[in-house]
Amino acid sequence: MLLVLPTISFVVVFFLIPLLMVFGQSVYHPPGGWTLWPYFSFFQDRVAREAYFRSIYIAFWTTLFAIFISYPASSAIVSIKNRSLKTFVMTLTVLPLMTNPVARTFAWLAILGRHGLINKLFIWLGVYKEPVRLLYTEGAVFVGLLQLFMPLMILSLVSALENIPEDLFLAARSLGANGFKTFIKVKLPLSKEGLIIGGTLVFTGSITAYVTPAILGGSKVLMLSTLLYQKASVVLDWNMATVIAVIMFLTTLFINGLLRRVGGIRKA
Amino acid sequence: MKTGLFSYFMLVLAIIFLIGPFVIIFSASFSQSQTLSFPPVGFTLFWFQKVVSMPMFINAFKISIQIAILASFFALLLGIPVAYALARFSFFGKRVVELATTFPVIVPQMVAGLALLRIFVLMGVFSINTTLLIGHTIIILPFAVRMIHSSILNLPVSVEEAAVSLGASRIKAFFLVVLPNISVGLISAFILTFITSFNNVPISLFLTGPGVSTLPIVMLTYMEYYFDPSIAALATILIVITLGVVFTMQKLLGVSKII
Repeated sequence: MLLVLPTISFVVVFFLIPLLMVFGQSVYHPPGGWTLWPYFSFFQDRVAREAYFRSIYIAFWTTLFAIFISYPASSAIVSIKNRSLKTFVMTLTVLPLMTNPVARTFAWLAILGRHGLINKLFIWLGVYKEPVRLLYTEGAVFVGLLQLFMPLMILSLVSALENIPEDLFLAARSLGANGFKTFIKVKLPLSKEGLIIGGTLVFTGSITAYVTPAILGGSKVLMLSTLLYQKASVVLDWNMATVIAVIMFLTTLFINGLLRRVGGIRKA
Repeated sequence: MKTGLFSYFMLVLAIIFLIGPFVIIFSASFSQSQTLSFPPVGFTLFWFQKVVSMPMFINAFKISIQIAILASFFALLLGIPVAYALARFSFFGKRVVELATTFPVIVPQMVAGLALLRIFVLMGVFSINTTLLIGHTIIILPFAVRMIHSSILNLPVSVEEAAVSLGASRIKAFFLVVLPNISVGLISAFILTFITSFNNVPISLFLTGPGVSTLPIVMLTYMEYYFDPSIAALATILIVITLGVVFTMQKLLGVSKII
């Protein structure tokens, strides 16, 4: 018990108590007592409401695309026989996770900017005559988030797929299942946990990410995180900032619980 | 299951998508043009010279390194006893301890940053530096606990019991037998927490101010006003450092353990 005491008190004093105090402040106003009014006013505010649903919507598409690309890609990684090639490919996918998110997002300015790669390419191909605005759009935020979080999906899928014995597929095939049926009845259920864990990481990551929406979306594509920053650091509206923070936290908790329930995962 | 051509095609696509942007930053950092552009124009090392001579970046770099080292050190200091207790003993409230040490991962970091700012900085309990350090330590603590926990689990209990049966006290056995045997785990935990702290934006966002700013935050602010390749040069430097660290780590313990 003595071993864990310092650490637990550290987490409680420097993390749990500040969080609870701030949450308390958002619902407790001394003269009137307890109130949920700030939360209603959040959803009454059109800008805030739009930012909230935009965050969820973009996070949803990011997760879906991450699954769509990562599932076959992870299957391919698992099937690589050459060990050093496999390690090399895994390193390439992990590398983005280890680099500075600001640096990572910065690259998209060179790709999506007015004089960026895509605009130059399209004008050269004759698709457009004038450069079009690609930055500060929902699409830009989506692409940035997809690149940011796809490695997490690949990692959880690779570890799930690696644990499925190859014999199971052979057994299914020899019992008469075709490739599609083997995939639906054997591979998919056995990799469900990887999908759920990866999905949770990508979805919650996308909802809470700050750097990508700040750089690629700006104030034109406000998300929950950029709105939170705006309220806290620009407008200095602490109450609203706290309300956004609580809503952000509860949303991620809810998504976490929902996906775990869907996947039937009991363990944390 | 037979892996079709489609899967390999998607893998190639995924890698291009994940790594392509790095290639672009890398080449853009040598460009002679005044604004960020791709394909790059000409070749120059000007942006590298500019970046390493700007006090703004140098100071932030120093602060980032200091915070990352101190926070990793504290996270290990706090993490080792908990990881050891979790790996070796079963005790009342073990589940609570597990939850408490993973809790910081669940809370969005911006939310934590805001709470620390309001309760500690604005109420004048701690200076902004101290709060920044506390925030970073909290954020990386779960990673430290998890990595140290798994390396203690990999060490057979019998090794420790042998030391105790030969007359060492449990504490002595811990310092002379357990710690040296998990040193690789400790080093990699330190590297991982260091990188996590060094790259962090969301917790630092609210806990930085004039004079106290970490490198990613300064880069972010700079990008709001300037659109030149100096950030690309800085990014290239950071990526090269990261590459070195990733390959060193891989040599130490294999890629599967990094995450």
